[in-house]
Amino acid sequence: MSDWSEATLERARQIIARYPEKRSAVMPLLYLAMAEEGWLTDHAIEQVAELLDLTPAQVQSVASFYTMYKREPVGRYLISVCTSISCMLCGSDDVLHAIEDEADLPAGETDDDGLLTVEHVECLGACGGAPVVQVNYELIEGVTPEKARELVRWLRNATPAVVNTDEMQELFGGRRSFDWAIPTEDGAVGPYPAFQPYGTVGQDRRS
Amino acid sequence: MTTEQKTDTVKITVDGLEMEARPGDLLIRVAQDNGVYIPRFCWHPRMRPVGMCRMCLVQVEGPRGPMIVPACTTPVADGMVVDTQNDTVAKAQEGVLEYLLINHPLDCPVCDRGGECPLQDQTMAYGPGESRFVEEKRHYEKPIQISELVLLDRERCILCARCTRFSEEISGDPLIEFIGRGYNTQVNTFPNEPFRSYFSGNTVQICPVGALLGAPYRFRARPWDLREVASTCPHCSAGDSISVQVSQNEVLRLLGVDNPHTNQSWLSDKCRFGYEFVNSAERLAAPLVRGSDGELREATWVEALDIVADRLGGILREHGGGAVAGLGGARGTNEDAYAFSKFMRTVVGSNHVDARMDDAPASQFLAAVVDRARIDDIDSAATIVVWGPDLKEEHPTLYLRVRAAATGFDPNQVVSNSDGLKIRRPGARLIVMHPRRTGLDDVARHVLRYRPGAGGELLTSLQAGDHPEIDEALAAGPVVALVGRASMTEDPRLAENVAAWLRDKGAKILPLARRANTFGALDMGLAPDLLPGRVPVGEGFESWGEIPTTVGRDTRGILEGLRDGDIKALIMVGADPVADVPDSHLATEALANAEFVVAIDMFHTESTAYADVILPALGFAEKEGTVTNLEGRVQKVNDIVAGEGQSRADWSILDDIARRLGKELGFATAAEIAKEISEVAPAYRGITWDLLEWDEPMGAIVPYGDATQPLQYVPVTTSLPTVAAEMVLHSARTLYDDGVLMRHTPWLHRLAPGAAAYLHPDDAFRLGAREGHRVRVVTKHAEAELEVRLDETLHRGVVYVPFNQPDGPRLGSDPIVRVTAIG
Amino acid sequence: MTLTTSFERPLVVTKRMVDYPNDSHTLERYRATGGYEGARKALGMTRDELVELVKESGLLGRGGAAFSAGMKWSLLAPARPAYLIVNGDESEPGTFKDRQLIERDPHQIIEGTIIAAWANEVNHAFIYIRGEYAKPARRLQAAIDEAYAAGILGDDVLGTGYRLDITVHLGAGAYICGEETALINSLEGRRGEPRLKPPYFPAAIGLYGQPTIVNNIETVSNLPHILVNGVDWYKGLGHPEDTGTFMISLSGHVNRPGNYELPHGITWRQLFEEVGGGIRNGNELKMWIPGGASAPWFTPEEHLDLEITKGAAAGAGSMLGSGAVIVMDETTCVVRAAERVVRFFAHESCGECTPCREGTSWLEMILRRIEAGQGRPIDADLLLDVSDNINIGLTFPPRQTTICPLGPSATSPIMSIMNYYKDEVLQHIELGRCPFS
Ligand SMILES: Cc1cc2nc3c(=O)[nH]c(=O)nc-3n(C[C@H](O)[C@H](O)[C@H](O)COP(=O)(O)O)c2cc1C
Ligand code: SF4
Ligand code: FES
Repeated sequence: MSDWSEATLERARQIIARYPEKRSAVMPLLYLAMAEEGWLTDHAIEQVAELLDLTPAQVQSVASFYTMYKREPVGRYLISVCTSISCMLCGSDDVLHAIEDEADLPAGETDDDGLLTVEHVECLGACGGAPVVQVNYELIEGVTPEKARELVRWLRNATPAVVNTDEMQELFGGRRSFDWAIPTEDGAVGPYPAFQPYGTVGQDRRS
Repeated sequence: MTTEQKTDTVKITVDGLEMEARPGDLLIRVAQDNGVYIPRFCWHPRMRPVGMCRMCLVQVEGPRGPMIVPACTTPVADGMVVDTQNDTVAKAQEGVLEYLLINHPLDCPVCDRGGECPLQDQTMAYGPGESRFVEEKRHYEKPIQISELVLLDRERCILCARCTRFSEEISGDPLIEFIGRGYNTQVNTFPNEPFRSYFSGNTVQICPVGALLGAPYRFRARPWDLREVASTCPHCSAGDSISVQVSQNEVLRLLGVDNPHTNQSWLSDKCRFGYEFVNSAERLAAPLVRGSDGELREATWVEALDIVADRLGGILREHGGGAVAGLGGARGTNEDAYAFSKFMRTVVGSNHVDARMDDAPASQFLAAVVDRARIDDIDSAATIVVWGPDLKEEHPTLYLRVRAAATGFDPNQVVSNSDGLKIRRPGARLIVMHPRRTGLDDVARHVLRYRPGAGGELLTSLQAGDHPEIDEALAAGPVVALVGRASMTEDPRLAENVAAWLRDKGAKILPLARRANTFGALDMGLAPDLLPGRVPVGEGFESWGEIPTTVGRDTRGILEGLRDGDIKALIMVGADPVADVPDSHLATEALANAEFVVAIDMFHTESTAYADVILPALGFAEKEGTVTNLEGRVQKVNDIVAGEGQSRADWSILDDIARRLGKELGFATAAEIAKEISEVAPAYRGITWDLLEWDEPMGAIVPYGDATQPLQYVPVTTSLPTVAAEMVLHSARTLYDDGVLMRHTPWLHRLAPGAAAYLHPDDAFRLGAREGHRVRVVTKHAEAELEVRLDETLHRGVVYVPFNQPDGPRLGSDPIVRVTAIG
Repeated sequence: MTLTTSFERPLVVTKRMVDYPNDSHTLERYRATGGYEGARKALGMTRDELVELVKESGLLGRGGAAFSAGMKWSLLAPARPAYLIVNGDESEPGTFKDRQLIERDPHQIIEGTIIAAWANEVNHAFIYIRGEYAKPARRLQAAIDEAYAAGILGDDVLGTGYRLDITVHLGAGAYICGEETALINSLEGRRGEPRLKPPYFPAAIGLYGQPTIVNNIETVSNLPHILVNGVDWYKGLGHPEDTGTFMISLSGHVNRPGNYELPHGITWRQLFEEVGGGIRNGNELKMWIPGGASAPWFTPEEHLDLEITKGAAAGAGSMLGSGAVIVMDETTCVVRAAERVVRFFAHESCGECTPCREGTSWLEMILRRIEAGQGRPIDADLLLDVSDNINIGLTFPPRQTTICPLGPSATSPIMSIMNYYKDEVLQHIELGRCPFS
């Protein structure tokens, strides 16, 4: 049934090999599936199930537990606005409204071009820099409603291939929860976290 | 299911009552066994507790004051003091009920569960009055069909995880699962994969509300209109206990009953939904006789029976008893079988009688193997061997039992939502030998596959010690071996060879044969070499007076006799040799050549097409009696609906024929037959209906009490030739097939997998055939064109064709086969 | 950030990043500042010695429950393999300290992990990081790669022949996976639902059914320092009953929100005035959450001069929890604030047990209705009664009817506002609108 590339399947096998038990690889494989197909299509779920000797229902059950696995199409840029208590106290609701308005999208929806998805989320762990926004899980702290609008326009017009947290912080951010000091070059290329559990050092730990 | 090592007991106090219990037992169970009922939804005595619903909250005195804990996940400890009723507990339980109700729809009046709903009942008993919840309830699409047999109404679901746990842990097909999280959690299947499990109906039964519904029962009746009677499932020889529920003389529902020795409350869907045939419009309602024009026409009983007596009498006078044979009897009661057996021996004077349809091992092996195991032995075995049919297809509840043993499943184990097998007690070592993948392979420690026709070779190599891991497992302690015939194309004697080897290794043997009352029929003497109560033919059995003393012909011999003209007449009792006997061509030739054939049956079959007289018989739920399962457990079946048309019990039909032939069987009711069995059949001495209904609620094992079993059959080894051929045929039964009862149960019949040729991809490649292509399969006696399905788990050089499928071919029992691609 | 405070501020886990803001995350800098000496020392000790040492130090878990780290290690069951999980799921609203430790000093975590792993005879450790921390996870993975390359991890840890692998596992948006047994289920590839207690500690039965130690990121970050500087030094920092320093994540209506490493024993007043730079806009302080969203709230009238220690917080009916302090000034509507906190728990409830699944969402709906001006007179009592069915008697720590403490956590804000600001709640109901908007 598989139509994932051999390279992707090989990565999947590498990931599986890094856990003492196969099933543990389900979360990284779901990220891999999102990277491969953009969101968790039925096919993606079936593929992960096949790789792990699970039923699709089991994989779906796990995937649907976690908010970052999207079972519906998401835009190329996923804008997540934190509206939990600390951000709320610092005006996050206005930031959310500004983004919804500028993107012309209610939270939870994706635009017709498949470019933007807006969502409001619970605490992102950056409360000292409230209010905060993430684009494809890359963080921007100290966002004002005005900067938030600029962010939306920038994403629309510049359509950066990679979203980088330092660049966005520079352009649209304000106060940070702590001094990052150390810039990074890398960033996200899709609506899933830019973290590759594969390709790094690690031994085959199948027992 | 917990092992018995823990003999010490602990004392606890519940609501002021002192109770004794085994340490580690769950509080909810201990309280219930001692008369204190703690309300619950998610806990089920046959499943691992999950403590999810929180309905069973009680107060336990702890070192730091009273604690509120769920009784279903709390193991008892010595000195524990429990309060299940005080104000705090009552408030907590009321709170849980209120939470469960805020999102529960108010559709009890149109819910199948209304009237027998634990949520409804507990709301009456413990619930809050008016709803304080003014918000909008959760909404989901009303019942969605999640399989051919099951509907799901998610609004009613209280998320107790009974269905998901059952499917994951008990039946091993996790197709129904939680989806989403928190307030938005729901239960559902995967979009592209319906809840197609052989055991799906159990989830309907254990769902504490009306969220899971059985499609066949939906809107058919209200609980208060139902009458019910306890009985035993008519579909396989495991002898599952059931409750038969009826409204207006129609069977509407079967439920599993918790017989700890057999099904432990579970049923396969074949058993649960396999009653449609009782109500079928195609039941025979009146006797039929073949006129001089060769057509069947309705007749009166008198007319039909006169013809039978006349023709049989003629043949008997002319050729003697040896010219008449009897086939069948494995679908009725022991009483029917006894009457048939007595009829053949005393009225006809023939030992040519067989309840097996040439698809089972030797009769004495099945009926009287020495050191026979009981189903319960599976639980405590260190090693379990299954060499025979795929249990999931042929003995589904035994499959569950073996699966539980192999996975170390323990309903007392408190480890929530982790099926991490390692956390459980170590399971039994399961060894499976079969020509292809079986339902148990996933939980087996060792799987050995072989080519049909080469089973003997595998056995020889095992005996030679080529598989030290198997020897080691067999040496490990109590061994239970479930042994039967794995393939219609495998020599039927292989099973006995296997049993002989395993018995030498100290194993107890549980012999397997599928048809529901095969074992009862054999015990009643429906075999060429057996008489009632496990007495070998030729050995002292005085009760019937003078009877033939030489061993008669078995099914194959009978059919050959008919074909060759040595046997002239055949009496079929619930037998359909054309469909059931692997060598269908032989059965057809035999029937076509018979001088006279009489059939006692519920339906027209391919075999009754050859009958001269067909007599309508009562069936399941229409008659009272006993049956015997594969471990020798005798249980009651009961009637609750009136019989179809003019149909009559087998025994009474046979008695009428006997009278017309100037003999008498000597009983006027089934109860009288039962009494006679309990007096004359040695192994059955003392087993009366009264005993089964009152003293031994879950059946009695034969031999019962101090009764004797004259025959202790020691399995014999025969040397088996190995079939050498490029391609061999594997043919085995599937749960749903084209058997007579299934054919008249459309909602299951359509689930049969259908005819196909399963091939290893390498073989398919070699033949130039792909999945979905067609191939020609040619055997010694038949040929067929079949669709190819690929099956990597097959041995190379094997083609698997499921046996007896709707519109499927009858390929016979010869393993040598030629397969060629078409076009 | 340089602060002038009336008390001493010894820096332990944040010292390196303060001293070397530009490269505290590199192996080179880490080594140049004494890095991996603690691990070297630990590898020369036995399990028993290490357990004893950490017990002695008084180090309490920094993940929220403040249980003695050494004691937890001593509970490890004998079966092997054993596993170590370092908990970097950090998702409790107000908490962002682990993120800083991961981003700015990942080698400190790796070293702490080596020490904890060695002490618990573990050969495979997992660091579970919440999915939204992609950048911190990258940085940690880069540090792990460096460590493998340098022979610090792998088959021959620091040349001692000890084998240790570390796998970084990314969560995917579920706060409950911070709860250690839910985390274990998640790591096993299941839904992140907490497991039943007992067993109370995964040290008995944990990952893959094996003995497992779960320690917080900040907890393990302390270990190298305890090993290098000794128990007495560690006990000398901070408060006699609550040793060492701790990280506070300060957020909300203060002038200087942020992470601060502080000694135990200062007062809340000192925290807000000297560390936080006072309440924003010169407003009055109205209330604060002293230890993450699960903790019952404090008010200036009663708690401002309380010492910040585990014991004092418990004595006042709350806790220091994850070290998240959320400050609310006089402009804050308590109903709205409570609704946000309750909404969080409702959203994050795993759904396993009835009272949490249904109760938290019900509470959220009632609060939202009150805030929207549709409160009914019975709603104030209803809030308390619905809470009471999750947390019997409305106590803290709760007597829970649930499997894990998440559900009862949602009753903290309800108890807090009904204790201190009942009038304001009733005012919403009477006015039929929020008095603050
Ligand atoms: C609902 C809930 C959420 C939790 N979240 C976290 C978390 O995000 N990070 C953490 O380290 N501990 C969290 N904990 C505590 C962990 O269960 C566990 O006690 C801790 O990781 C142990 O580490 P420690 O002893 O070093 O503190 C949480 C507990 C609960 C009940
Ligand atoms: S209290 Fe809530 S989060 Fe905790 S186990 Fe129960 S449902 Fe899950
Ligand atoms: S029956 Fe105990 S929690 Fe459900």
